[in-house]
Amino acid sequence: MDAADITLSGSTVRCTGTWTAQTLDGIDARMRSMAWPTGAVRFDLSGVAAVDTVGAWLLYRAARDLRDEGRDVSLDGADEASTRLLELVESKQIECPQPLHSQPPGMLEEIGRESVDQARIYASFFAFIGEVASTGVTSLRHPRRIRWQQIAHELQQAGVNALPIVGLLAFLLGVVIAYQGGTVLRSYGANIFIVDIVGLAMVRELAPLITAIIVAGRTGSAYTAQIGTMLVTEEVDALRSIGIAPQELLVLPKMIALTIALPLLTVYADVMGLVGGIVMSQSLLGIGATNFVDRLADAVSVRSFLSGIAKAPVFAVFIALVGCFQGFQTTGSAEGVGRQTTISVVQSIFLVIVIDAAFSIAFNHLGI
Amino acid sequence: MQFDQKRVLDGIDLDVVRGRILAIVGGSGSGKSTLLRLMAMLIQPTGGSIEVFGTDVARIDDAAALPLRKRIGVMFQNGGLFGDMNVLENVGVPLREHTRLDDETIDELAQLRIALVGLDPDAAAKFPSQLSGGMRKRASLARAMALDPEVLFLDEPTSGLDPISSDAIDELVLELKRSLGLTIVTVTHDMDSLWRIADRVALLANGRVAIEATMQDLAASTHPVAREFFGGARGRASLHAERR
Repeated sequence: MDAADITLSGSTVRCTGTWTAQTLDGIDARMRSMAWPTGAVRFDLSGVAAVDTVGAWLLYRAARDLRDEGRDVSLDGADEASTRLLELVESKQIECPQPLHSQPPGMLEEIGRESVDQARIYASFFAFIGEVASTGVTSLRHPRRIRWQQIAHELQQAGVNALPIVGLLAFLLGVVIAYQGGTVLRSYGANIFIVDIVGLAMVRELAPLITAIIVAGRTGSAYTAQIGTMLVTEEVDALRSIGIAPQELLVLPKMIALTIALPLLTVYADVMGLVGGIVMSQSLLGIGATNFVDRLADAVSVRSFLSGIAKAPVFAVFIALVGCFQGFQTTGSAEGVGRQTTISVVQSIFLVIVIDAAFSIAFNHLGI
Repeated sequence: MQFDQKRVLDGIDLDVVRGRILAIVGGSGSGKSTLLRLMAMLIQPTGGSIEVFGTDVARIDDAAALPLRKRIGVMFQNGGLFGDMNVLENVGVPLREHTRLDDETIDELAQLRIALVGLDPDAAAKFPSQLSGGMRKRASLARAMALDPEVLFLDEPTSGLDPISSDAIDELVLELKRSLGLTIVTVTHDMDSLWRIADRVALLANGRVAIEATMQDLAASTHPVAREFFGGARGRASLHAERR
């Protein structure tokens, strides 16, 4: 295949070679910057071996632009196939109506867009809370409509199946805190206070927090993905058309189950964290399990324990709300599910930490 | 060709004639999509040979397949359009990747392809998620044609479309064959489409080509697979429609 070439002699433009997408390197630029002869122009295409629509477009465009300048243009010597292509290109050419590339928005536009979007999302989040609440009240009035089987299923998924990971992480956290605290305490000879450090840190703060974060990442995302997928595959619409409120089937059982599961998981995390602390205290500081547990009764009051557990249901409600809400926000196709799941995880972990901070401040004021 | 121990295609012997439209038909699971994907070099066969433009592609590597791939266009069943680009940009991708034309020319050429497949100029600025099924197929076709391929593979070009859109796609395929001299391989379920566009029809059954013939010969055939194919209500309806 000869590369395409274009040469000028007098008022004749001689085109030679193969005019196809692969062989047109540089011709495009050369045609644009060409010093076309004045007056009538004749394109001699007899030397062209082959043309595809790309080549035909370049030839046609050159001829069209010259004609637009009011000159006489003729395209001669094209073989039958090329003529047909030139005609095809001419019949299909249209002016590009508007700039078609997606312009990156300016900063002001982006700020505006983002503000409006956020406002809308918050508004629909509150609307969603309202819908869930009203569905909840209806369900409570008609307890037969509560889906116990769903709730049991969700309890299994969000609670029982989370035991291994929650247990392991709480245990490791206990080990880490005992190690960090222990090395300092040992140098002061205050070994026994390791119980206070591990006990209070785990029971009041870390166990509820780490459990909520794991559950947000594990269960909240699953909620979003499930509801989002059902939305994309029109299952949610199908529920509505059958006369089942999607909130009643998809949101309430999840919320009830998570509100039960998360406090229980937190207690479990408390225990596993303390076990981790005991293991580390034994090997690092020589405090036996019996001593540790004896001291624990003094170090950690029931009130401290309860203040940790009390946060869990609140975390649970928000994780379930955000997970389900983001699921219902899904638009478009499978891609939307992924995007929404990411948002859901980030938001629920963010919320969990913010709520935890709010609890700390409140407890501080209340002197708990 | 086998997937997970199950032989999908076995003993296929099929030639595609230049400048013709070959339709591959068969029941669900008969391996027609697999055959199309093999010919379009999207998957490699577990055995046998496939020649594309005279090169055996059964064991070909990507570098060697590239020049062949440039001569092939594939229109995917659901479009396969890139979701983060609008239609114009989607159609321009092969041109940007494989030619050294300037951006303005690429946009003009993409616009030309978009007009060629019968999409409104406005559609060029839209994203795939904003398009209907038929428009997505057309946009996919426009992209498949970006490099002026010699062979087009169409995977279920009319599935999921209303009759009017289906007719329009059929017309478009015929028009492309006529005006650009394309060789077209299509996988389809659509009886009306088969009558209108197919020069040859290859009927797959049990992983092999049961019959390869024109639609007329296929309809008149006494081969049990062909009888079964035309025996259903739809097949009979299409036969009646054709006789009238």
